[in-house]
Order: sequence, then C-alpha cells, then structure tokens
Amino acid sequence: MADSGSGPLVVVAMRWVDTHARVDALTGRVSTDARGAGPSEADRCALEHGLRIAQAAAGRCVAVSLAPEPATDMLRDALACGAHAVLRVDPGHAAGAGNTDDRADSGAATAQALAQAVRDELGHPDLVLTGDHSADRGTGATPAFLAAELGCAQALGLVELSYTDGHLVGLRRLDRGRRERLAIPLPAVCSVEPAGVRLRRANLRATLAARTATIPVVPSDPAALAAQPVAVRSVRPYRPRAKELPPPQGSDPRQRLLRLTGAHEEREPPRVVVTDDAGRAADELLDYLRGKGFLA
Amino acid sequence: MMRDRAGPSGAAVTVEPPATTDFDAIVVGAGPAGSAAALELARAGHSVALLERGPFPGSKNVYGGVVYGRVLDELIPDWFERAPVQRWITRRQTMLLSDERSLTVDFRSQNWGSAPYNGATTYRAEFDSWLADHAQQAGAVLVPSTVVTSLLRTSGGRVVGVRTDREQGDLTARVVIACDGVNSFLAKQAGLYPGEHAEHTTLGVKETLALPKETIDERFGVSGSDGVDIEILGGTGGVPGGGFVYTNHDTLSVGLVLGLPGLAKAGLRPEEILAELKRHPSIRPLVRGAELVEYSAHLIPEGGYRTMPRLVGDGLLVAGDAAAMCLAAGIWLEGVNFALGSGMYAGRAAARALAADDPKRLREYRTLLADSFVLADHRKLRNAPALVLSDRVQQRYPGLVCDLVEGMFTVENPAPKPGLRRLLRRSAKRNGVGLHQLARDALTGLRSFG
Repeated sequence: MADSGSGPLVVVAMRWVDTHARVDALTGRVSTDARGAGPSEADRCALEHGLRIAQAAAGRCVAVSLAPEPATDMLRDALACGAHAVLRVDPGHAAGAGNTDDRADSGAATAQALAQAVRDELGHPDLVLTGDHSADRGTGATPAFLAAELGCAQALGLVELSYTDGHLVGLRRLDRGRRERLAIPLPAVCSVEPAGVRLRRANLRATLAARTATIPVVPSDPAALAAQPVAVRSVRPYRPRAKELPPPQGSDPRQRLLRLTGAHEEREPPRVVVTDDAGRAADELLDYLRGKGFLA
Repeated sequence: MMRDRAGPSGAAVTVEPPATTDFDAIVVGAGPAGSAAALELARAGHSVALLERGPFPGSKNVYGGVVYGRVLDELIPDWFERAPVQRWITRRQTMLLSDERSLTVDFRSQNWGSAPYNGATTYRAEFDSWLADHAQQAGAVLVPSTVVTSLLRTSGGRVVGVRTDREQGDLTARVVIACDGVNSFLAKQAGLYPGEHAEHTTLGVKETLALPKETIDERFGVSGSDGVDIEILGGTGGVPGGGFVYTNHDTLSVGLVLGLPGLAKAGLRPEEILAELKRHPSIRPLVRGAELVEYSAHLIPEGGYRTMPRLVGDGLLVAGDAAAMCLAAGIWLEGVNFALGSGMYAGRAAARALAADDPKRLREYRTLLADSFVLADHRKLRNAPALVLSDRVQQRYPGLVCDLVEGMFTVENPAPKPGLRRLLRRSAKRNGVGLHQLARDALTGLRSFG
C-alpha cells in the first residue's frame, strides 16, 4: 500500500441492501433479510476502484454508508479489504422525517445526509465513488444528487476508471456499442457499473482485525432527514403504443372499414383450450404449431 | 479404491509447533455444534475463533425438521422465549405409505404447546444465526465466508491450527474443534474416520412450500403457534429412506431422506421421488396449491453409533454431524439436539483442558458424552439404523401393515369377518415376509427401542 494521508480523499458510498429480497407476486410486498444483506456488485466494484485509486494516488479510501446497525458487517468487510477508515451514518428516526424506507426512496435525502456527514467527519472529499444504481430502489439518482450537494463534477455509469499521472480517466458505454472516454476533473462523483474489476478478497489477518474493530457511527443530519422525498402520486398500468397499420385502399368508406377490421374475411377463429389434462393441452399446442408450419 | 476427492484438501499441513497461538481455540463450522462449543469456551474466558464457510451462520444449512431444545436449557436457560421458532410441535404423526394407501398414528398434546416445550420447527438460517450471536456476545470472534482447507499439525501429529482459503490464512490455536458437518474433511485429515462411509450417508432433499397460515392451520388442524410433525415411512420410490412434512409459520417443509447406495442403484432423481410423494393421496391434500419457494439438498450422516469416528484426536475434538451425531431411529429422527449436546460438551472439555493446560484432558469429552443423552441414546439405538433402513422395513412392512389394516376395515358381507391371525398370514405372504423374520425383527426392534 502506498503511503496514505497526503493524497486525495476517496470516499466510497455503499448502499446496504438485501440482494436476495423476495417479492410477493400478488401483493408486491418485499421481504428482506438482514442476514443476507450487503453491498450490491456495483458497490463492491466501486470499493475496489476506490482502493486502487487511493493506492495509486497515495490517498485515503473511506467507505461510508447511510444504513442501520446491521450494516456494520458490510463496513467491517470494507475495512478488511483495505479501506483506511469506515463511517456509518445512522438514519435514525427523526420527528417528521418519515421512516427509513421512505428516506431511502429519496436519492436527494440520501445524498444530503451522506454529504453532510462526510463533510463534517472527513472533510471535503476529492473523489466520491458509488455503484451506478442501488440494487433495491435502482433509480441511479443518488450519485447525481451527491455531486450537486458537494458541488463537484459528475461522471456516471462508468465501466472503467483509472488514475494515472494525477489524472482520473473513465470510460462510459453509449448506445449502439459506442464508448466515450472521459477526463474527469477533481473533485468529482463517479458511479461505476458492476464491470471490469472485482473486489479483492481480504486476507485472514485483516479480516480478524476488522471483526473486532470499532465502527464509527454518526447520526444523520436531521435537516437532511426532514427533506421530503419524491413521492409517487399514482401508478397507471402500462399501455403499449398503438400499432400502426397501413391505410386501407379504395375510396368507399364501407369497403375501407371492412378491410380495416378484417370482417367478412376467411380466418380461423381463436380457440381457448381449458383442460386439467396437461398432456391434452400439450397435444393441442403441438397440433396448432404443426398446422401453422412451425413444426415438421 | 475410490477415495474422497471432493473438498478443500487431501492432507493436513505439517508445521513447526507455534511458540504462541492466535487463539485458545478454533471452532470450525458455525452450526449448532460449533456455536454451542464456541459459546462454552467463550463463557469460560478463552479466546475463540468461530470459522464459518457461508456468508452467515446457517446460510449453508438445509433443514426441514424439528429442534428439540431441552438441551438448550443448560446453554441458554430462557431459550424458548427468544429462539426464532416457527411453530411449537403439538401434533406428531408417524405415517406408513404404501402405493395409494397409508396408515397414520396421530398423537397430539397441548402440553407441548406451552413451556417447557417439546419440539419446534425453525429455519436453520435463523436458528443458527441466533445461536452464533450468543457465542459472539460471549466473546467468540465469528469469521464468515472463510473455508478451512487443512489442519495444521506438528510432525508429531498434534493439531495446532487450521489453514483457510484466505491469504495469510493460517490460524493457530491450542485446541481445534471440528464441527464442519457431514463428510468432515478435518476428521478425515486427522485420521479419525476409519474408511468410506457412503453407505451410512443419506441424501436429504426438501421443498419449502408457501401457503397462507390460515390454510396450514385448517389443513393440519392446529391454530396459533401450534405445529405438526409428520414422519413418513415408505413413499420413497423403493429407495431406502423416509419422508417428512413439517409445518412452519406460513410454509411447509416437505422432503425425503434417501440412502445413497439405494438411490444410485434405483437410478432415480430425488426430485422425481419427491414429486411422487407429493402426489400421494395422503400428502396431496396437504400441499395442494402451495407455491414452491425453495428446493434444497444436503447429506445426512445416519449410520449412528456404529459409524461414529474417533471423537478425540491430539489437539482435536469432533462434534455434530462431523461426528455422525444424527439419530435416525425410525420413530426418533433427531439431529440438532445431538449437535448442540456434543458441541456443548466439546466446548466444556476443551475449556477444562485449556484451563489445566493439559491436552490430555480433551479425552474428558468422550466421558462427558457417554454420561449424557448424546452417546447414551446413540449406544442404546445402535442397531436401529440398520433395522430401519433394511429392505423389509423400508419396502415390505409398510405394504404388510396397510394390507393388514385394509383387511381389518374392509367389510365383505355376506362373507364372515376374517380373524387377525389369518389376515396377518395373508398380508405377510402377499408382501414376501416370513413370520419368523417378522418375529426376529420385532425382537430386534424391542431390544433397540424397548
């Protein structure tokens, strides 16, 4: 590890999520289990980038999370992997702030609470790294809000990130297979996709040391918690676009209408097969496919 | 000869005796045995590392059964108020299945629905984590996501630590307790297992089926936190083994335990046999409409007392499934309580040996086990696994019993009712069972269970 302390401060913001959450298909209720929770793969990549950049720039890498107490193990793992320090920002339950889940829905509130805690406890960061979007809410808005809070540049959705000769360079994927290479000025907030790097495995000594390390905890800023999250007012069912059809030929309105609707044309009426016999249903389907020429 | 090739490593690593050790004790595996051992050691004031290969205790375990928690009274006195219990078992059934018939012995007792409880269904992911938390609170250091690959031994054969799959992964201690589960590589590396034991190992397969709590209550005739435990003999597609149905809060655990040699010989896939079990007229109404949320499989050491390894090595103790502490005696199917007991006594013996700085006192582990239910029950029921897994008990007796009962209850007027002796002879003949053999098995059963 290069000498740390004189170089840039790299903060990795990690979100603690249950990556194996179960969703009830009928009610939509999400069941989570703290035991199986941890960082998403994108956040793990962000931490690895943070460790590499801090090493290359002789800086400090600090892992930070706005999360409840069970997230301590996630931060211990970050410490074991080589983070110089960790910080847990406790969401708590401030009056009027709504519950933790409500606040977690809001990238703005999350960013505000994180930025405030980082500024207060660590100073102004040179680089903030996050996953490109969280594995649970998944808006990808928090990194942009963080950049706004900290007043620095942002480069989001990166697939590569490197620090060479004092310059931060990223690669972003664009549509149609294009790529753009970015020279990123510091201070900056960068979010990375779960690609390119894999979080290193901690050695046993570091793991043991981290298991008994004290994890600093600070309460989140009440003002940030009180910020009203973006609320969903209503959800409408998905409505696909209307299918475009060529206009019917001819000038007679009746004929045009008949052509448009397909009335009076020879066609096979649709059939609905309702049976308890799976074998018979399969035979029906196979006969249909054979009749249409999909099967020999 | 076929060797055990799967697993972390084939041989222990020889090292120089360490001048000082990292911990007083290392416990490998944070299952019930490991956490109980770590808890005892930590409470005695010793430094303990509890190594777990899964991301958290219980994450690698498969369990669809009942925890009999009486032994926990010694470890965690108010356990029944805090343990993560799904349901308390108040109804116990033993079911014999044959083709499309079944005979069920059904017992229920509301005494089991209040303290002191008898048995409870739990999810092992919750139960193991809960127990490991107690060990941690007592001072044990839990290290998850870490696989122990080898024992560290001196040239004299004394175990002085373990090697893990992490970098700088050697960890030394004065005592190692192997609670690494069935097919224990550590016990094998230490030479404590005499040879192959596939024939004493079964494959447990289990489906977790989700149903609303109200539906489970209605189908199984229970309410509140009361639960049902159904143990099944037969219904295994001719493969030696058994089945089970357990009620959880809002899921059912339905599964099979299948002998490995029989399963290989039958050429059947376990999930096919399980699907067949669920189609049985006696099981189908219980599981109808349930949503499959998990399918899992795990090996179980069911050989019992006769297949146990040596339990004490030089600097090493073996407990839980690693020591074949699962009791599979037909009417009694227990494992977690034996794991808890063996782990607790292993921890206790290790703590005494550490306090006295006398490795030879590790031998007290065997004495503690022998004086307790752990080895007493196993010794008493040492012939039961062979009897229960025999071809007759597995394949012929369920049919015989169902024939007998069907004959008793079938009304064939105007023909007069047949006598029981005649029915028994007829049923025995139909199912290829000699009456002398039946008497011999009854005597063996009486000696085992009596």
